[in-house]
Amino acid sequence: MADYSLIIIGGGLSGLAAGIRFARFGGSVLILEKHAIPGGLNSYYFRKGFLLETGLHAMTNFAEPGDKRAPLNRLFRQLKLSRHDFITHEQFSSLIHFPGGSTLRFSNDFSLLQEDIAARFPGEIDGFNRLLAAVNGYDPFTPREWISTRVMLGRFVHDPLLTDMILLPLMVYGNSEEHDMDFAQFVIMFRSIYQEGFFRPDGTMKDFLALLVETFTAYGGEIRYNSQVQSITMTDHRASHVKLAGGETVTCDAVISTVGAPGTFAMLSLPRQEEKYAGRMTFVESIYILPRQTKKEVKGDHTIIFYCLSDHWQYRQPAKPVDTSWGVICFPENFQGMPLSDYFQIRITHAANYDLWKKASSLDYAAMKQEWGAQSREITAKIIGNYQQNIVYEDSFTPITIERFTAKARGAVYGSPVKVKDGRTPCSNVFIAGTDQGFLGIVGSMLSGVSIVNQHLLKE
Amino acid sequence: MTRGEIKNVILEIIADIDEDADMADLNPDEPLRDQLDLDSMDFLDIVMELRKRYKLQIPEADYPELATLTSCINYLEPKLKAL
Ligand SMILES: Cc1cc2nc3c(=O)[nH]c(=O)nc-3n(C[C@H](O)[C@H](O)[C@H](O)COP(=O)(O)OP(=O)(O)OC[C@H]3O[C@@H](n4cnc5c(N)ncnc54)[C@H](O)[C@@H]3O)c2cc1C
Repeated sequence: MADYSLIIIGGGLSGLAAGIRFARFGGSVLILEKHAIPGGLNSYYFRKGFLLETGLHAMTNFAEPGDKRAPLNRLFRQLKLSRHDFITHEQFSSLIHFPGGSTLRFSNDFSLLQEDIAARFPGEIDGFNRLLAAVNGYDPFTPREWISTRVMLGRFVHDPLLTDMILLPLMVYGNSEEHDMDFAQFVIMFRSIYQEGFFRPDGTMKDFLALLVETFTAYGGEIRYNSQVQSITMTDHRASHVKLAGGETVTCDAVISTVGAPGTFAMLSLPRQEEKYAGRMTFVESIYILPRQTKKEVKGDHTIIFYCLSDHWQYRQPAKPVDTSWGVICFPENFQGMPLSDYFQIRITHAANYDLWKKASSLDYAAMKQEWGAQSREITAKIIGNYQQNIVYEDSFTPITIERFTAKARGAVYGSPVKVKDGRTPCSNVFIAGTDQGFLGIVGSMLSGVSIVNQHLLKE
Repeated sequence: MTRGEIKNVILEIIADIDEDADMADLNPDEPLRDQLDLDSMDFLDIVMELRKRYKLQIPEADYPELATLTSCINYLEPKLKAL
């Protein structure tokens, strides 16, 4: 008999969710995580006494408890977590800011976005409402061919400025393709961001991860940290065991890998197929900590600002290390009912070019970080006012950091532009869950872990 | 198990998978899915819970037999008789 019925590679959100789901019905399962703590892209670390979260701007898919069909609540039921015990803080409102004073606000009340579109693009509101009806009637989970979002949008919205304004938040929070996106993914993102909306869990990502790990181990699941999987070994065309970097082997009946398609193929000694499966969209992020009393100097009270200051917004890998002409400015304290602390944060994200960061020497790398950080602060100050003088601590990460900490090929946060939607690999008992399976973000990646277990391991 | 006992098992399982389930006005001959607003993922939980508790294997082709409370009881009665 194998050591475990299931081995899950990666203790990020998809791996933890898959683990809980499988352990819940008595299956024996081991999660192998290469780092010392869980969470993957959505983890945390300590610097100078501050707990910093690596991935969390906001959770998407807000839903009140009791709304049974909402993805968030379905996820909680599947993991047997109480939605009523899970305290959430909803966003204030978010802003889409484009050149020429074009702004749109949205909140967890969809009518705010409709009102702003009606006021600023009066000729487009009927088309936007027809788009809404089309989104509501669309099942994004039915398997079909790739459909261009830009072509579909063109049927409803005619002003290219409004098209870009609608697309920016949805792309930057979950599109692995450049320029365009699959319409099914657009529908998923439209619902999760505009129709459902942003929130934060009470407490930190550290608490949320602890809840998941506790739930998992309470069902008998085991998790081992500092355990990097090197390869998956096949016997008679089926995975029979995994080999750890230290040489140890563990036997199993099935494997779920959450490390992305190229990484999984490499473990199976198949070609990595990076040309096909490595995404090109990656980002730099800066985290600034400022004293609370300086918060009044910041313009506005939005939760997240999605801005573009160029007349031609391009959702593409930039030709320079960082594209500061557009980005995301997040205020993690701007959620309703958050306890006050002595400090507040500003987090800023921009698209970046992996190759340019990769080839920089360590000296250049540090200088590049400095240079692009300064440029980013200067540009974002045009939107939120000067804040640079008040920063007491800052940290930033690049595509190289993302690659090193999560093994996402080329630091591509949203993974491959080609998704392995059914989670299958050439090996019949090895499955892919998480980012490269197709669901993104915190709620999405967890749903991915759950659905791969349901589909391939429970229903047999 | 008697029909009454099977009914209680089903209700207990549903209460366990859905903290918001309201079973007071459940009509035994109407689809559970519509009345409780459950989806196919929740139905899989009922199947898995029966497997865990009674080592009962329910093939996917038989899932429609679990549509209503009465059809659940009809389907499970012969399978759980010995228990
Ligand atoms: C800067 C940033 C901001 C973000 N903001 C948000 C946000 O605000 N809201 C939101 O919903 N989402 C956000 N996301 C996205 C979200 O974090 C991810 O979509 C989600 O966490 C992906 O989870 P995953 O399990 O698929 O992958 P990962 O988190 O990458 O999990 C993979 C795990 O596998 C481990 N691993 C890799 N290789 C091996 C190996 N060989 N052996 C063992 N273990 C291995 C890794 O260490 C990692 O823990 C953000 C991401 C980033 C980078």
